[in-house]
Amino acid sequence: MKVKSILLIEDDELDVISLQRVLKKMELDITLYNAFNGTEAFELLRGPNKIPMPDLILLDLNMPRMNGIEFLEEFRKDKSFDHIKVFIMTTSNDEQDRYKTEKLGISGYMIKPLNFTDNSKKNSSMDYFMHFQMNKILGSD
Amino acid sequence: MRLSAKIIIGFSLIIFFSLISFWVNLRLSNEVNRNTEFLTNSEAIIRNSAKIHKSIIEMQSSHRGYLLTDNEVFLQPFYAGLKELPLLFEEENKLIQGSPKQLIKIDSIQLLHQQWVIYANSLIEAKRKTLDSVHKSSEEYIDLFENKLQKEVGKKITDEISLKIKEFDRQEYFVRQIRRDNLTESITNARKATFGLSLVTLLVGIVSTIYITHLITKRISSMVNLAENISKGNFEVIHDKENDELTDLVSSLNIMSEKLKKSFLELDQFAYVVSHDLKAPLRGMYNIAIWMEEDCEKEFSDQMGKYMSQMKGRIQRMESLITALLEYSKVGRINKPLEIVDVQELVMEITDTIVPKNFKVKISSPMPAFKTEKIRLHQVFSNLISNAVKYHDSEFGKISISSKDKGIYYEFSIKDNGIGIAPEYHEKIFKIFQTLREKHETESTGIGLAIVKKIIEDKKGTIKLISEKGKGATFIFTWPKEIYQIEESI
Repeated sequence: MKVKSILLIEDDELDVISLQRVLKKMELDITLYNAFNGTEAFELLRGPNKIPMPDLILLDLNMPRMNGIEFLEEFRKDKSFDHIKVFIMTTSNDEQDRYKTEKLGISGYMIKPLNFTDNSKKNSSMDYFMHFQMNKILGSD
Repeated sequence: MRLSAKIIIGFSLIIFFSLISFWVNLRLSNEVNRNTEFLTNSEAIIRNSAKIHKSIIEMQSSHRGYLLTDNEVFLQPFYAGLKELPLLFEEENKLIQGSPKQLIKIDSIQLLHQQWVIYANSLIEAKRKTLDSVHKSSEEYIDLFENKLQKEVGKKITDEISLKIKEFDRQEYFVRQIRRDNLTESITNARKATFGLSLVTLLVGIVSTIYITHLITKRISSMVNLAENISKGNFEVIHDKENDELTDLVSSLNIMSEKLKKSFLELDQFAYVVSHDLKAPLRGMYNIAIWMEEDCEKEFSDQMGKYMSQMKGRIQRMESLITALLEYSKVGRINKPLEIVDVQELVMEITDTIVPKNFKVKISSPMPAFKTEKIRLHQVFSNLISNAVKYHDSEFGKISISSKDKGIYYEFSIKDNGIGIAPEYHEKIFKIFQTLREKHETESTGIGLAIVKKIIEDKKGTIKLISEKGKGATFIFTWPKEIYQIEESI
């Protein structure tokens, strides 16, 4: 299955920019939509100006208004979304979060690095992380 | 029941039994005294009755002598006895006041004696009259002589008196024997009672002391346990069912434990906030800096490129400061898992990753393998080894690592030939945020040695430094062989 479009649900704008840059760098023909929280995401998926169904959702957990887990609970109730793969992309290393989301059905759980000096300087940037993860996700298709 | 009440009851019991013992002893000693008194009294009675008897016999013999010799001189003891005897009888009466039987006997003796005195006097009177009328014996005397003396009237009376006195004495001796037996028995009883009651008092004392001691010890040791658990980071509470003086202490300890637990949870929350919320914007800044370099590098002047890299350096320093601070706060609060650590392997692993090629590392004695918190020991070694590498100015570095078995702990030492540390800084370097280097150097946070010291002290070990400026430095630290730890509580 080829990924045509991705919905990134993430409140940090820098992460959105990072993903945009990475997709551009990788020269992939993928449309990126983004919502800053769960409520906005549902507006994009169901609202009057709704977007075409994305193939992939990248979901942050810690967000204002509707957080990642609340979104996923709501999302899984709708059978029409079943074909969309959901990946969690968060800074939370909490066992509880991992357990809850896995129970709700996800395709992967990625932890964004908080430390950026431990690694060599090139590897520690957000872009590097995004690049690495996108390669993994899209390559595994 | 309150503890003080229990203690008072214990002491009251002891005092109560002591009082009973005292009272019984008093009663028994009274008994002994009474019996002793009686014996003394009885001796006096016998002595007195002997005197009476003697006096009566003397009167009789003096009377007899006078009748035989007609000499008035012989009558002297008779008159003396006449004077003396009523006094003796009176005294004897007093002595035997408590014994009606003996009183009757003495009365009858006195009566008999009075009869005899009347008889004797009549004979003396008649004899005198005979002696006054020359050559002619008085009819009266003859009549008396023939009817009374010849018929042994006087002798019969005196024999009866002797008999009665003997009986009196025998009775006295008999009673005295009974009393003597009583005395022996009461002394034995007194001894038995004293022994028994002392034993009971002693037992009550011992039992109540043991009970109260046990009670207090049990309570206190449960509190000591609680305090120990608190110090280990295990915030539990004691469920105390008693309601006494120690309950206040227990509830204070419980409150303390709960408050500590809460504040530790808050600290953990704080740690999370620091790690997540402070680091996230920092990471953002770092990313933007990288993007600027990537996207606009060609537009930068040399100076701007330098500024950019300086900014990135500061961001990285900030990040490592936050990380180190978090690490420092976690030491002693969060236990790491215990595992068998081969120190040789651990040290080699560290030196392989952080020691550059121009350094020579020598492990000068065999390193032990033992069960401990691997992560903490790793932190200590890697901090000390990286310090040895960092504070170095010559081309070729030398690091020497050794260990000694000191019984309950190991002593490790890490020696380098670096720039050394002047003695006045030896204490300062272990304090947080102290670095002897300039602030702009990114790799030095000033927390490394503070963390090392905190970890070692948390393990009840010690660390010391032997160094002089320009002569290298040796860090020596001890690490216990056995680490007791409880389940992670938070």
